[in-house]
Amino acid sequence: MDGPDVGWYLIVAAVLFGIGALGVMLRRSPLIVLLSLEIMLNAANLTLVAFARQQGSLDGQIFALAVMAVAAAEVAIGLGLIVAMARRHVPLDVDQARALRG
Amino acid sequence: MIAGAWVCLLAPLAGAIAITIAGGRISRRTAGWISTLTTFVAFAGAVVAFVGLWAADPSDREQVSTAYTWLAAGDFQVQVQILLDTLSSTMMLVVSGVGGLIVWYSMGYMAGDDEERRYFAYMSLFVFAMLLLVQSGNFLLLLAGWGLVGLASYLLIGFWHQRPEAVAAAKKAFVMNAIGDATLALGLVLLIWQTGTLEFAGVFQQAGSLSTTMVNLVALGLLGGAVAKSAQIPLHTWLPDAMEGPTPVSALIHAATMVTAGVYLLVRASPIFEAAPDVQHLAAILGAITLLVAGAVALVQWDIKRVIAYSTMSQIGYMFLAAGIGAYGYAIFHLVTHAFFKALLFMSAGVVIHHLDGEQDIRKMGGLRKVMPRTHIAFLAGALALAGIPIFSGFWSKDGIMAAAFASNDALGAVLYAAGLVGALLTGLYTFRLYFTVFRGEPSEFVQEHAHEGNGEGPRSMLVPVGVLAVLATIGGLVVIPGVWEPFLDWIDQTAEPLVTATVTEDYGTSAIAVALALIGFLVARRAFSSGRQLVTNPAVWRVLEHKLYFDELYDALFYRPAAALSQTLRRNVEEPVVARSLDEIGSGTIQVGGEVARAQSGLLRTYALAVALAVSVLVIVFVAVR
Repeated sequence: MDGPDVGWYLIVAAVLFGIGALGVMLRRSPLIVLLSLEIMLNAANLTLVAFARQQGSLDGQIFALAVMAVAAAEVAIGLGLIVAMARRHVPLDVDQARALRG
Repeated sequence: MIAGAWVCLLAPLAGAIAITIAGGRISRRTAGWISTLTTFVAFAGAVVAFVGLWAADPSDREQVSTAYTWLAAGDFQVQVQILLDTLSSTMMLVVSGVGGLIVWYSMGYMAGDDEERRYFAYMSLFVFAMLLLVQSGNFLLLLAGWGLVGLASYLLIGFWHQRPEAVAAAKKAFVMNAIGDATLALGLVLLIWQTGTLEFAGVFQQAGSLSTTMVNLVALGLLGGAVAKSAQIPLHTWLPDAMEGPTPVSALIHAATMVTAGVYLLVRASPIFEAAPDVQHLAAILGAITLLVAGAVALVQWDIKRVIAYSTMSQIGYMFLAAGIGAYGYAIFHLVTHAFFKALLFMSAGVVIHHLDGEQDIRKMGGLRKVMPRTHIAFLAGALALAGIPIFSGFWSKDGIMAAAFASNDALGAVLYAAGLVGALLTGLYTFRLYFTVFRGEPSEFVQEHAHEGNGEGPRSMLVPVGVLAVLATIGGLVVIPGVWEPFLDWIDQTAEPLVTATVTEDYGTSAIAVALALIGFLVARRAFSSGRQLVTNPAVWRVLEHKLYFDELYDALFYRPAAALSQTLRRNVEEPVVARSLDEIGSGTIQVGGEVARAQSGLLRTYALAVALAVSVLVIVFVAVR
């Protein structure tokens, strides 16, 4: 099989996932949180594709396509929410948007 | 002929269903006609079955017809089957024939009631249930019929549900009957266990080979059912109260048919009782006690229907006595003649009550002979039959029972004989007390008030059935004339061979004494009436009898009060502190826990993300570690 071993892909994916997770947990801007989420999704996609390649099966790639479709839908909604917040002059800070606390 | 039996069974059911489904779309009168005609169709079926059986060879007079298998559990099977033999065909004729007349009579009696359709549906249901009871070919169907007649009786006693007394009486009847149903069911369970079948033929074949204890227990269970259904002491207290129902109901259910089901059971299950002679004697003793007690209580009652109700208990006591000593033919014979004359008495009383706008107190009645001559004659025929005056039907059947007691030739027989004779005297007394108070003398003020604007003697639908029954009560007993011809007894003997048979001399000797006693009763009653006295003059005795020997009070103290006290205690000490409080605490505890848990929901998105990340990491570590 050509190309690097599957382990390398996993390392890259893990690093990407870590960056994304830290971004979600540490950043307060909803836009950045959304971006970080995308990074985490792409890390997952990377592992799916890497394993698909290793196994010689297309299942993982199709799954990755499905994840992208879902991610696109999610971004559409997320960005829509952020735009709506900005229009209403709601501060773009996830720590302040806590009306649902118990 | 077996088809006739099936028609007989199913026609009233069809009537009940038709009236129920049609509901308000048919007029009340139509409902009455449906009920009456289906009952007469049943009678026609019964006649066909009877004639077929009569024409059949005597060896072929026990026919079982199976529709399908109802229950099957391994080897134990119960079929929906009817048994047509001499006993059941006789009962079919009585139930559907007398039933048809009474349902017809109801059309006049109930006219104008708000819920006539419901009434007729119940009546048809009752006739069906009673026919199921007497036609069933096994004990389980018999039990089903047994329960259904109890249900119909409950519904009809409480028919006027606006009256609290009627509802209470219905409940009382139901509970008392339930006791009997339970013992009957327990007896049947023992039978299944011991014999593996409930079919009459199979059970009776094995009745002799059961152990003494077992057969005694089974017989006791059956006797318990019979005692409750037939209102014998000690389960008799419901019958007088059951008079709260409409009068035709009293005539049909609480005089002619349902209350005699116990006698039918004693005769039908005679092989079991013969294997348990002690229990059989117990039935005779209970019958003797009941006939005396009920006869005495009847002397002091003021309600015309209650007097007749006590008389019914007393007469069924005679039947129990007969079945208990093994004079099955006479037990059924008295059942049949009693159905005629007691239904007649109830229906004549119903005509009187109808005429007087629902008044039942005999103190307000009097002199009705002049106002209602035809009813007077009908009632008199019933009274003479009840008292056992010669040629009237009761004479032939009741005296035969006493003669059989005499012929059984042992100490028990002698005691029963004496009880029967005293009962004959009591019968004469209470019957003619009622007759003289209601019909003789000058019309009372109350009667005069109603004489002009009253309902007359009722519509034809009431008078014709009364007339037919008056004829039957008069000549119905002529099917047994000891020593001359006894086709009725021969007919029943083919199903239940009697254990004792009186000689012709014993028969006529007993009759002479009994008739003399009845005549004494008649004369005493007339004397007391003409001098304005009561028959019971001692106030202490009067009080005891008026309280029906304190049976109601006794049961109240024995069963009701302890149960009520126990319930109160449990409510105070268990229900309120434990059950009710615990429910409250479960509620408040849940709210408290919820409040604590809600704090975890901070609304901080980043905290949630951290929690998810931490949880996933823990899971990963655990999975890896466990591997």
